[in-house]
Amino acid sequence: MRNQRGESPKKLLASVMAAAVVLSMTACQKKADNEEAFNPALSTDTECTIRVAGNYSNFESLESEFERFYEYYPNVSLNYVYLDNYNDTIESALMSDEAPDIYVTASWMLDDKRYDTLFENAEVLSDPSLNIDLDCIRKDVRWTDENGDILMLPIFTRSYGMLVNMDIFEKNGLKVPDDYEGLMDVCEKLKAAGYETPVMGANQTTVAGMYYSFSFPLFCNDVIKNPGSAEALNSLEKSRGEMLRPALEKIKTFVDRKYLNPKLCSAEIEDDYNAVIMRFFEGDVPMMLGSGDMVSGTAKRESKSEAFTKAPFKYKFYVVPTGEDGGYFLSAVSLFFSVNKNSENLEMTNEFIRFLSREKELGNMAAVKRLITPTNDFSLDEVYSSLEGFPQERSFSYHATGLNDAAAKEFRAAAYNVANGIMTVDEAVSAYGSIFEQGQGRQKQLDKQ
Amino acid sequence: MKKTLIIVIDLVIMGLILFFIIHYANTKMRESNENEIEAFEKMTVSAEQIITNYLEDEQHLCDIWANYINRSAEAGTPMTAEEAISFIGKAKLSPMIYGHLIFLDDSSKKGISTHPRATDPNDYSVSYKNIDLFDNPEEISREVGVVSLTRAYTNPQNGVQSIAFMNYVKVLDKESRALKEALLMRVEPVSALEDKFVYLKGEYENVEISIINKDGDYLVHGRSLKNSNFFEYYKSYNRRDITDYNEMTRRVTSESGTMTMTNSKDEECVISYTPLNSMDSWFLLAYIPRKDLVSNNVVDWVLLGMVILALLVLLVFNYLVLNFYNVKLSEAAEAAKKANEAKSDFLSTMSHDIRTPMNAILGLNEMVLRESREEATIAYSEDIRTAGNTLLSLINDILDLSKIEAGKMEIINVDYSFVSMLNDLVNMVQSKALEKGLLFNLDVDGNIPVVLNGDEIRIKQIITNILSNAVKYTKEGSITFRVGMEKEAAPDSVRLIISVTDTGVGIAPEDMKRLFLAFERIDEKKNRNIEGTGLGMSIAESFLNMMGSHIEVESEYGKGSTFSFALVQGVKDQKPIGDFEEAFRHTLSERKKYHVSFTAPQARLLVVDDTPVNLTVFENLLKRTKIKIDKALSGDEGISLYRKNHYDVVFLDHMMPDKDGIETLLEMKGLSDTPNARTPVICLTANAISGMRKMFLNAGFDDYITKPIDPDRLEAVLIHYISKDKTEPAPEDDPKVDRSIPDFIFGIKAIDVNAGLMHCGTNESYMIALRTYLDSAQKNAEEIEDYRKAGDIKNLTTKVHALKSTSRVIGALKLSDFAEKLEKAGKDNDTKTLESGLGSLLAQYRELTGELMPLNDIKGDVEYDKREVITEKDMNEAYTALLEFCASVDYDSVVNVVESLEKYRFPEDEEARFLALKQAVDNFDYELIPEILSGGEK
Repeated sequence: MRNQRGESPKKLLASVMAAAVVLSMTACQKKADNEEAFNPALSTDTECTIRVAGNYSNFESLESEFERFYEYYPNVSLNYVYLDNYNDTIESALMSDEAPDIYVTASWMLDDKRYDTLFENAEVLSDPSLNIDLDCIRKDVRWTDENGDILMLPIFTRSYGMLVNMDIFEKNGLKVPDDYEGLMDVCEKLKAAGYETPVMGANQTTVAGMYYSFSFPLFCNDVIKNPGSAEALNSLEKSRGEMLRPALEKIKTFVDRKYLNPKLCSAEIEDDYNAVIMRFFEGDVPMMLGSGDMVSGTAKRESKSEAFTKAPFKYKFYVVPTGEDGGYFLSAVSLFFSVNKNSENLEMTNEFIRFLSREKELGNMAAVKRLITPTNDFSLDEVYSSLEGFPQERSFSYHATGLNDAAAKEFRAAAYNVANGIMTVDEAVSAYGSIFEQGQGRQKQLDKQ
Repeated sequence: MKKTLIIVIDLVIMGLILFFIIHYANTKMRESNENEIEAFEKMTVSAEQIITNYLEDEQHLCDIWANYINRSAEAGTPMTAEEAISFIGKAKLSPMIYGHLIFLDDSSKKGISTHPRATDPNDYSVSYKNIDLFDNPEEISREVGVVSLTRAYTNPQNGVQSIAFMNYVKVLDKESRALKEALLMRVEPVSALEDKFVYLKGEYENVEISIINKDGDYLVHGRSLKNSNFFEYYKSYNRRDITDYNEMTRRVTSESGTMTMTNSKDEECVISYTPLNSMDSWFLLAYIPRKDLVSNNVVDWVLLGMVILALLVLLVFNYLVLNFYNVKLSEAAEAAKKANEAKSDFLSTMSHDIRTPMNAILGLNEMVLRESREEATIAYSEDIRTAGNTLLSLINDILDLSKIEAGKMEIINVDYSFVSMLNDLVNMVQSKALEKGLLFNLDVDGNIPVVLNGDEIRIKQIITNILSNAVKYTKEGSITFRVGMEKEAAPDSVRLIISVTDTGVGIAPEDMKRLFLAFERIDEKKNRNIEGTGLGMSIAESFLNMMGSHIEVESEYGKGSTFSFALVQGVKDQKPIGDFEEAFRHTLSERKKYHVSFTAPQARLLVVDDTPVNLTVFENLLKRTKIKIDKALSGDEGISLYRKNHYDVVFLDHMMPDKDGIETLLEMKGLSDTPNARTPVICLTANAISGMRKMFLNAGFDDYITKPIDPDRLEAVLIHYISKDKTEPAPEDDPKVDRSIPDFIFGIKAIDVNAGLMHCGTNESYMIALRTYLDSAQKNAEEIEDYRKAGDIKNLTTKVHALKSTSRVIGALKLSDFAEKLEKAGKDNDTKTLESGLGSLLAQYRELTGELMPLNDIKGDVEYDKREVITEKDMNEAYTALLEFCASVDYDSVVNVVESLEKYRFPEDEEARFLALKQAVDNFDYELIPEILSGGEK
């Protein structure tokens, strides 16, 4: 199984790329249907218990959906069970007497043989007889197997971009930029207005670090535009280092112009999650780079920030407009649900999935968790409202790039080195294939010292 | 009581009943709910016992395993890990129960299990490396009997949510052959524990049992409690400050109790909590939606509905009954209204029908009073005037009452002279009081402003009523009329405080409440001789009510009463009235007989009335004004004259047959070929009921005069409407005729000057009478004493009779009454009374004459009469001669005789007769002389 452009040798997952026009027309129609009220297909008196097993210790967004489902099936009992050491225990759990009816899956599991049974036990959700409307899912996060069957329902997706303090922009009469030139102009104006470092983030090599959010989507776009380049990049072919240049140069420009200050970021932001959010809530950072996962932590931390409580402000998530025509909406699924086809209450389980796979319910879940919905309806959470109607040609999933983890690590390491003055852009480009490894080596030396 | 009010009261009573029912049911429900919650809490404690027993039992089984293994070690035959697990595998009874032996000193926290991994039937190894269970291994008890329990976790062998009971064991390390400590775990599915709660479902269907640790993490997780942590869940859905939150966590983790909270669906739920006795780190929570445990119904709605229905039926029934009686009452009210309208019609008709002849009676009587020189006739005429005025007053009272009852009485505020009003009042009442021999005291605050604003007519009417009553119901003593004043907050208003105090019959307390009822007369039996309709006080009180005041009465039966009221009046001229009593005395002294106020020989009037006698009265009333008067007996006749002649004023009677006054007026106003386009037309009307004034003015009349016609009012109207160049002041009377009365006379308490003037007619006559009285006083007193000494009762009585008459003439009313009393005793041969009173009578007589002595010193205006007193013989001869000359119409001789008589002074009892003779001669009324001479004692 793989995503639309995945090229896994073991479980080739064919992507379903229908013509955009046809898809959009279908989507429109389906959207209208999808928005209709949910009509129970089973007897509403049905009594049964459904277990959902997952690796979130706390899954309130799902529990809120349980409550909504009870409005139709009041005698059904839905329980979420957190499994310790999920990755090791889910398989056993599926074989036990208390096997979950629904369980959490992830895209990386597809490539791991240990999890074969998870997908062997998974119900085909795209089976027309189940009447589950999957068209509301964005095409770039829709996964099918080689037979075109959908075994995994995307629940949350993540993206990479920046949180924008809308009050600062409004106060300074600025509009959030929608292209690279505009971004430079805004940074200049913000500096003139007294914001020494208009853009901040975690100065780290992680996917939640600021360089990944800043220019990795730009790099991905270049890869997509150059079919075949992904394979060479994944093989860490040194010659493919040039593909990194445009993204690295833009990072260098931002650092040189002091729009970005890696040292300051290191000093003030200790980690790529909690510290980023809390620093942003201080209210003096116009743009804070980070991942969608970071955004998901904002809601609960508003009340924990003394500064934000005293002086709350409006903020939104935007992709960083590093392209000449604008930014790139790079998305990745952070959580799927699969249905245990051996469930004792398979009908009701599928009914619950049918209930869940609607724009409204997926949107609600995403809004509660403050993650990005896998549907096209971004209206339920204003923070992500900028993604509403985002141009299709600049929207793609990580898996659509065909890049593997090694290539991504090389990019993150190169970006970090360039930004922190460890390497020049040329050095980074020429060192492609060994930058991450060198970095690890340097870290080990530092640790020894 | 109004229908609406009754319905409102009914509804209020209904509301109170419903309130009681709801309140009572609510109280009962609250008690019931408290009992339910208490029972639920007890259930929780019971559940804790069951769980504790279960946990202790399971721990005990774990301890048995551990003991067996440890004893083997202690006995020197330690088991290896595999042997120990093998033992446990055999010892455990249920396949659901797993035994794990874990080596905690190994960072991988590996060990072996009684069961292989579900994914590999040959793999009995187990690892807790990635399960966060053993952060504090030292806290795991090594003591037997102490429950050591893990949180709920996922059994790594089968992926089932489980709990584990623990103890330490010593096993043999195969490699080192040394004893090694391992953790023995008796792993059971959480569902096994949950099964223990099933019995509770029988009692509470929706109860959910959870077990949490001190941090709020679940061991057993109830379905409705979202989140992985109970305290986090509580915080998410219940807004509490930190103090309340901390108190909640303290209580939940330290004691048994019950609390309410809001769940994720915003529903109220009840949570009962208690610590697990077997261990101090786990706490049992029993959750149930509040609606399942307690009733939220404030009341039994069926019962309440039935009560409301019954009350509504009762209300409707009451309403229908009420409506039925209301209809009956409406019919009765309608009938009463019609009767009242009939009464009003009757009053209106009566007003006209009585007033019209009264106009003739009083008008003609006025002519008699003006033109007669005969004392007796004048006296009769005065009586007619008094009786007529009384009758008019009665009619006016009845009309006023009808207006008040009909709600048509209007209070018309005008600017008025307070002094003038007071003059009228005092003039009116003082004479009446004096006639009855009552002392009239006047006490007027000199600071009262000269010109006030108010309804002068009604105020005068009120005071007149009170004063008249005081006079009527007082036989002896005094009447005191006080007018005081208080300043009001507003500078342009004052509060008049008016009181009338008498020494009359007083009012019994039981009669007080009837005082202001119409047609009620107090103490009727005792006061039957007193005239009155019983309307006066009722009308006065009604007027005062309309003016925002009321009458206050203080009375002592048999001793007298005080009637008082306060009235706010506007002030138009702040100038104070000054000493009113003094001013009034001067007014009295300047009183004159009727004297025409003006003449207007050039003026011409038209008067139209269908009653000939009214025309005659009208004409005679204006006789001395020398105005030319054209009379017409119908509207058409009047219109004909109106068309031809110019008139200065036209008077039109209102009620006339064929064409009434208003129709006649309209026709007159419609004429174009008339010289009277600007002539004012005044309505003559006997119709004095409410609304008439407005109606006449609206109809086009310039003014109106009510019948019987008040001569003063008529003359005032004419002066107003006749052009100034046509009127001239009437010629003054001979100034020598009416002389001033010396001030000291007014100061003599025993004399009522006003009464004297009424008897004597003019100041001059009065002064002569006073001098004569003084001159003859000594002689009379001596004669009385002589007759008394001689025991000549007859002559003594005659003399006392003379004293009575002469005293009354000069206004010495008390002395006169006293004399009358003794005269009566004399006639009755009551010598005892006569003897006992005579001394006092003479003393008063002499005292009075003593006070009159200053008259002898006055030489100014009035000369002392030094003429010789005529003998009785000469006087009788002169009278006889006069009668003869009159009979032969030899008036020159009459004049000569009278002139010759003027050289003599007449005895006081003949003085008045001579004066009348002289006046008749002066006025050429010779025909009156025989009547004067034939008249008896005046």
